[in-house]
Amino acid sequence: MQVKDIMQTKVISVTRGTNLAQLLGLFKDFHSFPVVPVVDENQVLIGIVRMRNLFDVFKPHHQEILMRNPLSMLSHEPTDIFDIDIEEGMGFLVIVADIMDQKIVKVKESQSLKDAYDLMQLHSRDAIPVVNAEKQLVGIISIFDILMQIFREKGVA
Amino acid sequence: MNTILGIGFILIVGLFSAKAAEKIKTPAITAYLVIGIVIGPCVLNFMPDNIINISGIISNVALSLIAFSIGQNFSKRTFQQVGKQVLWISILEALGAWFVTVTALLCFNVPGYMALVFGAIAAASAPAAIIMVVRQYKARGKFVDTLMGVVALDDAWGLIIFSISLAVSKAMYLHLSTSMVSVVLKALLEICGSFLLGGIAGILLSYIGRLIKNKTELLIYTLGIIFITTGLALHFHVSVLLSCMFLAAVVVNLNNESFKYFDVLGDVDWPIYLIFFVLAGASLEIALLAKIGFIGIVYLVFRVIGKFAGTYFGAKISNADSDVSKYLSLGLMPQAGVALGMALIAKDQFPEVGGLIFTTVAATTVVYEIIGPFFVKVALQKTNQIHA
Repeated sequence: MQVKDIMQTKVISVTRGTNLAQLLGLFKDFHSFPVVPVVDENQVLIGIVRMRNLFDVFKPHHQEILMRNPLSMLSHEPTDIFDIDIEEGMGFLVIVADIMDQKIVKVKESQSLKDAYDLMQLHSRDAIPVVNAEKQLVGIISIFDILMQIFREKGVA
Repeated sequence: MNTILGIGFILIVGLFSAKAAEKIKTPAITAYLVIGIVIGPCVLNFMPDNIINISGIISNVALSLIAFSIGQNFSKRTFQQVGKQVLWISILEALGAWFVTVTALLCFNVPGYMALVFGAIAAASAPAAIIMVVRQYKARGKFVDTLMGVVALDDAWGLIIFSISLAVSKAMYLHLSTSMVSVVLKALLEICGSFLLGGIAGILLSYIGRLIKNKTELLIYTLGIIFITTGLALHFHVSVLLSCMFLAAVVVNLNNESFKYFDVLGDVDWPIYLIFFVLAGASLEIALLAKIGFIGIVYLVFRVIGKFAGTYFGAKISNADSDVSKYLSLGLMPQAGVALGMALIAKDQFPEVGGLIFTTVAATTVVYEIIGPFFVKVALQKTNQIHA
């Protein structure tokens, strides 16, 4: 069985220019913030926004590069979100391109469920985007989808 | 006190001192150093000898992890991300500090090999202290963005400049009587050897890494390859820093998912850095402070002049705003962790003058850590980045 057989194909994606207010609006009624793929005009996957990327709103520019120097850490604490004031304008000023993760963990639609599962375990992800041979976004697969498939096969679900 | 008890003690005291330091807006590294000085031989003399004995292992492990982590900046994508302005300024301010400090010390008759080491250490800055000020004043704007980019990269250039200078410096130190040609050859051999070792290890890490299927294995595998690289570097007397940096650079450019090797270390590296900096603080010889006067002042002053000149030229070449060319170097003044790491390596390499180099750098670090944040603030004010 391949990833494309069980992946979710109804995916909400955003573009580089989507602003923070729009992004938050899209998911305000969700139980928690999901994995949001970022695509370009040709539907090619260019990034991901996860919950942890929302923290980047609070952090200095070039955060990704700064963190590569272990000694640039200020303390053991992660960003203190309670101690930082954010202006209203940030909702429009911050765009997806500023906060998206370019370290993309993705799987091809033709890969096996085992491959997808291993990849998610290795990177500690619950869900990852699925792309076709042209690197375009075609769906999302989660560990839950894989578990469901196994439950179905065993007659549990 | 036995070694394990000592390490446990250092970890717990380091942890809570860093928590306390945070309350007074001081980076964790500074807290570790202060704790080291306090429990070290000069003050409380609480540090068991057997811990000092393993400090060689700890510092090699800590420095190889730092070099590996910083090495991932050498990718095409990073360079595109930061843009040519940040690239030019960061390279030239690091080289500027090196060149001006070396030249000044040579003019004051400091031996060449020592001048080279001091100059190389001058290139480093302290990202944590700088970010702290930026955050404290909630500074924002184009100038801050450029400053952050330069700060992010300048330790990377600093480590390269240091490794190469150290190779030359060691060759000069060991072959004082022989010709310049043999010095250059020996240094070249060390540098090329490091690249070869890092390169082979990088290719192996990347290709065999495909067999790794889970996070625990990934951590074991990554640490294993880094330790083998560091161990071989020590065995063949090539540079640990350059080898590990090049290992990272090769992996980053070979492998799209290379971030996994770096991210996995993020959970385990801090305890090692904590011990490393506490031990660094403990090895400070306060008695030597009296001797550093002159070299220390030359180093303090000319590092700043070099940073200014380098930033100025970098900004001119890359057509940066006049704000950047005038004030950015003020933001680069703090110096701490990486500089001390470099000084510790120098301490190991030059038994006779190493103590003096380390103590000078440690003392000037204290000065830079006190006055540095003030100058960062001035730079932010002059460029209207503080909006409060």
